[in-house]
Amino acid sequence: MRRSLLLRFTYRWPRERPGLPHLPHALDLQLARVAQWFHATSDTTRLAILEFLSQRDRAAGELIQLLGVPPSRVSFHLTVLTESGLIRRYRDGRRRLYSLRGETLDLMLTFMRTVLPGAHVGTCPLSCCQAGLPYQ
Amino acid sequence: MTTAIRPQPTLVASWFHALADETRINIVEMLSHKERCVCELEQVLDIAQSRLSFHIKVLKDAGLIADRKEGRWVFYGLQRETLDQIAAYTKSVKPGKHAGSCAVACCD
Repeated sequence: MRRSLLLRFTYRWPRERPGLPHLPHALDLQLARVAQWFHATSDTTRLAILEFLSQRDRAAGELIQLLGVPPSRVSFHLTVLTESGLIRRYRDGRRRLYSLRGETLDLMLTFMRTVLPGAHVGTCPLSCCQAGLPYQ
Repeated sequence: MTTAIRPQPTLVASWFHALADETRINIVEMLSHKERCVCELEQVLDIAQSRLSFHIKVLKDAGLIADRKEGRWVFYGLQRETLDQIAAYTKSVKPGKHAGSCAVACCD
């Protein structure tokens, strides 16, 4: 089996976890998806890739040169970023370029705004607001 | 964003790592309402206290939450400055937004 194909099946993240049920969210965000964005950005090499791509779209070869990391590592990090929806790959003539997806970054910002102290969105996914907890 | 206040990549990675788990996202969402003690979080999230302590430690080490002692109770609250820094960082990596202050000097 081709390595890229193997990667696609091996690193599908996050896996279904039976523990947490899917809770309806006020922003219509799936928490698994939100966790996946933050997982993708929780590595210094991947952050460097995002910073390079924020300047302009680049090919994988350029990124390998700029980062000084083995091609297989860069390929792995690009797969994680693509699966999380933070970057996309497109074809430009004979080259394959990677670009940032602004809409995902916008969603991340929206999420960050709703978790500021006091900014609690009205319909708490865990109904912590109506649970009749002590010290309410 | 200038070079001077640009955070270290490892610090940025630790913020995002702290938010890369559903349980921790739930904790942060609950704390965005108001300060809460461990017992309230435990009751709503329905997880063992040992696991909750672990998740709280990760959030605390990343500087996302802070504790405040009140008598025998410890209350956890969000750290506004860190959340603002995360939002600022996310804004700075928008396509085309790239400022001249690249941490890895890809610009020159």
